[in-house]
Amino acid sequence: MKGTNDFDTHRLAGGMGGHRGGGILANLTGGGLTLMLLAALVLPIAVVIAGGFLHEGKVSFYWLSHALTNRILVGQLVNGLALAATTTLICMLIAIPLAIVRTRFSFRGAGILSALLLVPLILPPFVGALSMRKILAQGGVLNRILLDIGILGPRFQDWPDWLGSGFPAVVVLQVLHLFPILYLNASAALANVDPAASQAARNLGAGPLRAFWKITLPLIRSGLFAGGTIVFIWAFTDIGTPLIVGFDEVLPVTLFQRLSQEDISPLTYTLVFVLLSSAVAMYVLGKFVFGRNSAAGASKASIAEETRRLGPAGTLAAWVMFGTVICLALTPHVGVVLTAVSKRWVNTIVPSVFTTEYLRFVITRPSTYNSIINSLMYAGTSTLIDIAIGCVAAWLMVRSKIRGRTFLDGLCMLPLAVPGLILAAGYVAITVKGSALESIGPMRNPFIILVVAYSVRRLPFVVRGVTAGLQQVPVAMEEAGRNLGASKAGVIFRITAPLIAANIIAAGVLTFAFAMLEVSDSLILAQLENHYPITKEIYKQMSSGNVDAAAIASALGVYGMLLLGGTFAIAGALMGKRLGAIFRA
Amino acid sequence: MKRIRLDNIVKVFGSGSKASAIAVDNVSLTIEPGEFFFLLGPSGCGKTTLLRIIAGLTDPTAGHVTLGDRDVTRLAVEQRNTALVFQNYALWPHMTVRQNVEFGPRMRGAPAATRKQRAADNLERVEMTDYADRKPNQLSGGQQQRIALARALAAQPDCLLLDEPLSNLDARLRLHMRHELRRLVKSTGTTAVYVTHDQKEALSMADRMAVMNDGKVVQIGRPEEVYNRPATKFVADFLGEANFTPGIIAAPSPQGADAPATAAVRVETPVGELLAAAPAGRGPGSDVLCCVRPERVRLTLQPARTDGNVAILQATVAESIYLGEMRQYLCDLPSRQQWKISVLAGSEKAIPAGTKVTLQIAAQDVAILPA
Repeated sequence: MKGTNDFDTHRLAGGMGGHRGGGILANLTGGGLTLMLLAALVLPIAVVIAGGFLHEGKVSFYWLSHALTNRILVGQLVNGLALAATTTLICMLIAIPLAIVRTRFSFRGAGILSALLLVPLILPPFVGALSMRKILAQGGVLNRILLDIGILGPRFQDWPDWLGSGFPAVVVLQVLHLFPILYLNASAALANVDPAASQAARNLGAGPLRAFWKITLPLIRSGLFAGGTIVFIWAFTDIGTPLIVGFDEVLPVTLFQRLSQEDISPLTYTLVFVLLSSAVAMYVLGKFVFGRNSAAGASKASIAEETRRLGPAGTLAAWVMFGTVICLALTPHVGVVLTAVSKRWVNTIVPSVFTTEYLRFVITRPSTYNSIINSLMYAGTSTLIDIAIGCVAAWLMVRSKIRGRTFLDGLCMLPLAVPGLILAAGYVAITVKGSALESIGPMRNPFIILVVAYSVRRLPFVVRGVTAGLQQVPVAMEEAGRNLGASKAGVIFRITAPLIAANIIAAGVLTFAFAMLEVSDSLILAQLENHYPITKEIYKQMSSGNVDAAAIASALGVYGMLLLGGTFAIAGALMGKRLGAIFRA
Repeated sequence: MKRIRLDNIVKVFGSGSKASAIAVDNVSLTIEPGEFFFLLGPSGCGKTTLLRIIAGLTDPTAGHVTLGDRDVTRLAVEQRNTALVFQNYALWPHMTVRQNVEFGPRMRGAPAATRKQRAADNLERVEMTDYADRKPNQLSGGQQQRIALARALAAQPDCLLLDEPLSNLDARLRLHMRHELRRLVKSTGTTAVYVTHDQKEALSMADRMAVMNDGKVVQIGRPEEVYNRPATKFVADFLGEANFTPGIIAAPSPQGADAPATAAVRVETPVGELLAAAPAGRGPGSDVLCCVRPERVRLTLQPARTDGNVAILQATVAESIYLGEMRQYLCDLPSRQQWKISVLAGSEKAIPAGTKVTLQIAAQDVAILPA
């Protein structure tokens, strides 16, 4: 009977507390969670936005009109939109063909190549920026190679600067970091399309390209939009990359500089509002244009996808295609590792003298060592919080009928749409000098706000991961346990938890990994050196002007990558293909 | 084994006036200890909801559930000691077959040795002993079905509940399992309630059955009773093919010397006069609906003479449909009625369309339904 699942949920969730109507305990828990999220997520943003509309104690559009008539600020806004649009477009152009090849064909090594594509996610682009410069700049490694094989002449002045500076450099670094998100979304969307849909089109006379254009693409449109949104907002509000590349002509950088000051002008808060409303406007516009009426995922595939086995030539072509992208995307990582272990790397393709000095240095010197420990603490605490809250929220959403369930779901997913920069600004605003919460502010001890910020930002991953797991456990399996005499708790521990353990662990691992190398919150909310997390320490080193700065920053980056790579490998092993589900908006 | 009693069970889904739907509408019935009882009805008739109410997985909006002598309406699921075989089996994929089957005894606090023994016994009962160490997803549908049954039986429930347990099997296996399942269930002596929408399943397996429609129980009885004496047109239709014609009960014919003594009444219908066993509570002049099963009509090429218990109708063959063991004729009767007549298909040829035929219908084969 089709309707069975609808009412299945009712009794079990009721089981959390009272007998009917969702249960008192379930409702209380849901209410509590909602209040917590309102306080940690909505309140700070509300405070920061309100701050921008106060002028001399009165509600006013003074600051907003001030901001919108300031040519420099408007120019920065436009730059940011252009930057995000360019990055998103290029990511799509790279990711979609890869996803099509991966889902439509099978070939030797497809799994490995697909996994390698995700590696770029583990390094914030701003860490790779320095090494990219080393490789792609006028006097960089690439040009040395081209010189060696005789493509470039000996005249240094004629050599191209591949990375360029400013805008293109930011785009390149962002694209190399972010295209895997679109790849995952596109793959997942393609996998959800019933193969019969395009087969029917082929059957009725459409060629492969036409079938893709007319049938498949419309069906995966909302999936692409979801991934595109994440990339767009990420790029639009990215602080780290423009900061390191030295492209200051975007709002996030201006905001970062203003938020780091002790006294914060209302104009700063107005800029937060401008940034947020631009992001929301772009999201709504995108949703309106791309995200509507997609039926993908509405129905289960009626038949299994038949992947075509590629012959030797096809396999080679696929390898070249994936290989090129992987090599490009891993360049910053290779560069970071080489920089970290090079004693001398001037005018040569690879370092001429190697050393482990920097790798040892960063774990022996207090400030860098401290930053690693700080990051472990922040990330660890926030991961535990996320798992606890995420599991409860997912349970309430999937298995209960409490009031306000949809609202709670929306709140849990909201951080995906709220950039870290804006949330960080909110925390700055509520802990600003002279406020009641000053003692947990960035200038005093930011442990609490950093942990809360990390937790809030990564909560969607956990909720999504656990929700996906719970949805795959038929309620009948839990009911069967109750029916055979297990208590409510017994069912959770003996049946539900073991079945979704992989999801919980994977979501936790990812949360931890992202928190370890989080950028925006870390740069803004940690203002005292002894509280710096890894990323802020890397930023400090890189902007110190020190001779060894690049090497020390890179050495820290290497440790970050090792931690992240390891955790990603665990997550991938646990979740398999479902890993992609976590990145979907 | 325990008696199951349902008193005035009502279940309304959704609250508020707009979205609410009555799934179970004031159902009362008693299932005797050891009985294999069927709830039969179309999708959405409330039969699964009723089963879940017995199990305690759904709370009734009103009414009482009694198991044995105990009112269990407010009792939590896990304390009812009913064992449900789920439609999709709900075998736990992270446990082996043995762990699945041991779960019930484990929850009841049975010591390890007892658990093991009971699992072994029940796996043997369903002939799945060799598969004890496999995971459920390594088994075929039929095997999973057996494990689901073994898991339920190992819990030694007061009553066994089965929710369309054969619906996920292919047709041949389903036929085989009907007999098998009845044998297994009856061998345990447990009171069992079986939900299905397949009338053949119910007719061939049930001790007694309740036919449900729109949340209500329409008729309760043994399979033969329900099939032969359906209470309503819905029941007659749902349990198999039937020909219907409206009619009026005629006044008793004057008792002439040559008229045989009979309990049959005459019913005037547009297709001719039918004879039927006298219905209770309906006198001459009542409007009724006559129901005749296709296989109960005798079709002959020669004209026949009536006697006191058999009605004779004239018809013309319109079409014949070959069904393997049976042949079905569609026959035109007066006033544009078309009846289905089923005969065992022998080796002879079908009667060609257009042939005039005679239909003989015995009084005991005509069921009188409310008009």
